[in-house]
Amino acid sequence: MISLFLKDLFNRVNQGRWPYLIVIGHILAGSLLVYTQPRSNLAFLVLMTSFMSLYFFTTSVRFKLIAGTMLALVIIPIVGVRNIFYLEVIFQISVFAALALGLNIVVGFAGLLDLGYVAFYAVGAYLWAFFGSQQFYVLHFAPGTQPSDLPFLLPGDAFYMFLLVGVVIAGLTGILLGLPVLRLRGDYLAIVTLGFGEVIRVLANNLDKPLNFTNGPQGITPIQRPSMPDPVVEWFNSVFRGVVGHDVTPADMYNLMFYIFALIVIIVIIFVTRRLDDSKLGRAWTAVREDETAAIAQGIPLVKMKLAAFAVGASFAGVMGVLLAASRTFISPESFSFMQSIGVLTMVILGGAGSIPGVILGAATVTILNLQVLQGFSLYLNELRQSDAVMPIINFAWKDLSPQLDPAKYQRMLFGLILVLMMIFRPAGLIPATRRKREIDAEETN
Amino acid sequence: MALLEMNNITKVFGGLKAISDVTFSLEKGRIVSIIGPNGAGKTTFFNTLTGIYKPDGGTITFNGKSLVGLRPDQIAARGIARTFQNIRLFPDMSVIENILVGMHIHLKQSPLQTLFRLPGFKKEEADAEKKAVRLMRYVGLKRVENELAKNLPYGAQRRLEIARALAADPLLLLLDEPAAGMNPQETEDIIRLFRNIKADMGITILLIEHDMRVVMNISEDICVMDYGEKIAEGTPQEIRANTRVIEAYLGRGAVAGQHEEKMR
Amino acid sequence: MIRFLKRINVYELVRPVGQMMAFSLGSAAFMSAIAISLALALDDTAVGVSLMDKYNVSLFTYTMLNLPQVIIDGLTIGFVYAAIALGYTMVYGVLEFINFAHSEIFAVGAFVGVELLIALDGMGILAGASLGMAYAYLILAILLGMIAAGGLAVAVERVAYRPLRGMSRLVPLISAIGVSFLLQDIIRLVESLTSGQFNRIMPTFGNFDSRIIFGKIAMGSSNLTLGISVKSIIVIVSAVLMLVGLNYLVNATRVGKAMRAVAQDRPTASLMGINVNRIISLTFLVGGLLGGAAGVLYALKFTRIDPFVGFFPGLKAFTAAVLGGIGNMTGAVLGGIVLGMLETFAGSYMGVFTMGAAGSEYKDIFAFSILILVLIFRPQGLMGKNVVQKA
Repeated sequence: MISLFLKDLFNRVNQGRWPYLIVIGHILAGSLLVYTQPRSNLAFLVLMTSFMSLYFFTTSVRFKLIAGTMLALVIIPIVGVRNIFYLEVIFQISVFAALALGLNIVVGFAGLLDLGYVAFYAVGAYLWAFFGSQQFYVLHFAPGTQPSDLPFLLPGDAFYMFLLVGVVIAGLTGILLGLPVLRLRGDYLAIVTLGFGEVIRVLANNLDKPLNFTNGPQGITPIQRPSMPDPVVEWFNSVFRGVVGHDVTPADMYNLMFYIFALIVIIVIIFVTRRLDDSKLGRAWTAVREDETAAIAQGIPLVKMKLAAFAVGASFAGVMGVLLAASRTFISPESFSFMQSIGVLTMVILGGAGSIPGVILGAATVTILNLQVLQGFSLYLNELRQSDAVMPIINFAWKDLSPQLDPAKYQRMLFGLILVLMMIFRPAGLIPATRRKREIDAEETN
Repeated sequence: MALLEMNNITKVFGGLKAISDVTFSLEKGRIVSIIGPNGAGKTTFFNTLTGIYKPDGGTITFNGKSLVGLRPDQIAARGIARTFQNIRLFPDMSVIENILVGMHIHLKQSPLQTLFRLPGFKKEEADAEKKAVRLMRYVGLKRVENELAKNLPYGAQRRLEIARALAADPLLLLLDEPAAGMNPQETEDIIRLFRNIKADMGITILLIEHDMRVVMNISEDICVMDYGEKIAEGTPQEIRANTRVIEAYLGRGAVAGQHEEKMR
Repeated sequence: MIRFLKRINVYELVRPVGQMMAFSLGSAAFMSAIAISLALALDDTAVGVSLMDKYNVSLFTYTMLNLPQVIIDGLTIGFVYAAIALGYTMVYGVLEFINFAHSEIFAVGAFVGVELLIALDGMGILAGASLGMAYAYLILAILLGMIAAGGLAVAVERVAYRPLRGMSRLVPLISAIGVSFLLQDIIRLVESLTSGQFNRIMPTFGNFDSRIIFGKIAMGSSNLTLGISVKSIIVIVSAVLMLVGLNYLVNATRVGKAMRAVAQDRPTASLMGINVNRIISLTFLVGGLLGGAAGVLYALKFTRIDPFVGFFPGLKAFTAAVLGGIGNMTGAVLGGIVLGMLETFAGSYMGVFTMGAAGSEYKDIFAFSILILVLIFRPQGLMGKNVVQKA
């Protein structure tokens, strides 16, 4: 009933000049709220959801482009440098959106359930972590025993080259893993990729001997970043000092830079995904997903097509890995656990496998739930614990609640709930994928 | 030389010979049916020919080249297209995309052309779309190119499957019970369609069918299988008079009675 | 009474015991042969020399000294894997579906059993218990773990899998992954709220930690002790009993016949008047019962459990099921024993044989390597038939 009413309302409003006004209003309201209430999560949410009204309301393509660019490149950076926590949230959303879009090619298009996707992310991250740090000279030292004055192997600007190297190496890893296992049936493939993910993590944990490649569980640090010229910082400050309210440090500028890099990767992935989806290759992927036997009877080589999907998906994870290593300047095996793989899968499933806007929405929702809702809940519980409040009805004092109970650590429950509920009630996701409608000139074909 | 030559094909499952020592040849440009009671090995015969099963013995030569040991997709690329007994479309793809997938082996677009939408890509896609619409018309589908395949009615799904197979420009078209589940009017239409396909495109057609009206009406030759063996081959008149064939069907009591009925 | 006894199919009781003995002895002999020949071959190389330098013992002696314990440990964990693997294999046999949440069913069994014993311990009951009562409490814990796990397995099937039956294969699998994650955190939540911590330790009671020594063999300057801990005996004996019981249920009862019929062909079985949903529930129940018992036995053997305790045993048991030929019950037992042996041998000897370059830290991924190799070279497993996927 309510959804029908909302649909009706949406259709009534979504006409003529109204959508433009609503979208602009939403963006302005969000910006204003965040500007006046820099610590309010709700204000931040209002701003973030303006992306959704931009997506859903019918406006011209040019308007969408301009408004989207303003939001992503002007408003969010300003909001971000004013409250660095928001920038962190947005950066994480971008990183996970990129990963989820990469996994979407494998799961959504080709229908291959990859449960070890972050392994490729780890390959990229360790690649730059090794070459962009002092690790090369640490090879013969056990973790923690190396002298502190070791040189760096490569200059920080080699990072740009390694974005490409990451693409290639991760793609090759995908092919190497895929060659033997892509013949397997779907459910076996899932378990084998899970195993592969664990293998990579265990290797990262233990390849500190006989030669110290990964520095074991302690992880590698410091990892270099590309150089940030002073004029860029000065320019930013001269333009935005007024709205930001204070001078931005180079460290904040780095955060901004990596956010923009992540955006660029996302745009490239969307570009590649859309172009491939609407071609022989993309149709072959979908065909393989829908019915392998029928696909093969059309002359589609199964293993080759699956390998292509695996390699493309893996290479995007690889480039994001390089980006992560540089932005964090520190990586350890912990960041590449099975739970991370499931987290990315959850984003794809929640948003809608095969649907680009869906997957981005999924990534944003899961990241916000994870970083803001669960953590906010944790903070709230801690406040309650320190107060004298008691639970109503059962008269349980909050301060007696076990300190072990920390909602921020309950990501598994979040992921698990989302996966089960989506499969039962909405397996196609929040924004289901649609097929492109083709306009073919009827006259000519008569 | 025959388009398809199969010599002494044998396929064993466990201890059971699903096909035993079948020799079969098919001349170019003909319409031939394979008939036989349930479990006679007809579909296994198709699956062996298309590479889904590897034969345990014998040779298959198609268009002058051996097919043994090739993967199903390689065999399809040699010019054999098929439909399935229980329609196998790509349900969540649109009608036109289903047909475009059928053209897979003929599309030459490279990844680079695809990514940057170079002229070669655009032209190929536009041509493919036009050809797909032509094929839709040809098999008698209305302008439903943007419908999802799963939303089509049953008869239209059968036609779409044929269009998808034709999209590959095959030399040989294998049809597995194409008239199953159709009413008399639809059956008549589809028989006409097969005749046209043969006449217009010169495509050789090999079909498995239970409906004897279809078989007797359309076939130039009939091959009869029973218990994995080929028991007879000949024109519809010859088959009608063949005592072994009648025995094979009549020996099976009530079920055979129906077949006999249809054969008259 | 006599009539009842007459109806028992003795062959079906004896056959699995014989099989299990053959599997155990065979894999033990095979692995020992490999370890001993490797030790002999490497004794004169740098590997043997470095060991001699460090501990003044030859590689061969070292290998022999550890061998009995390694075999016993391998068998013990092997039988635990086998009991879990049966849960995977039975469900796969009937539904062609990997019950990813089975590892958490196992964990829930472990937690329920251990919590019961901790509670009894807290009341001071365990400390003063006679030997007979100690065993009774242990059996009670195992039974309670079984009931909880079995009930949970049935509930999970009803809620998260049954509505998805008939959809694309990946849909129930993803749901199962979700259930697995959900259950891990539910265990953690419940434990945090009730006991305030989620690492639980199996209380020490009875004579389970003592060892039975059969004898000593002098070997160089040290003695080769032949012995086995009571724990290991309990684990192996209970696992064997359960496996025999399951084998009997499936192969010699009406219900078992119905299960096999449903596994073969669901629609036809339903036409024959078999209530397919009930049989599927029953399959999950039996798998859950075995998993729950395995959980308590695992806790008995390894003492410490946490909410994620199911993950690795679950994956390894799945590997065991695939190794033996998924859907095949005898295969699951064989796979469990072989995998337990392989893993324990690798974990115990790899460090010494590679001079510390790669040791027991790779034990966990060892199973995956086997899984990948099996799936590539013999996807039907050791005992499975090569079946073409149903079209």
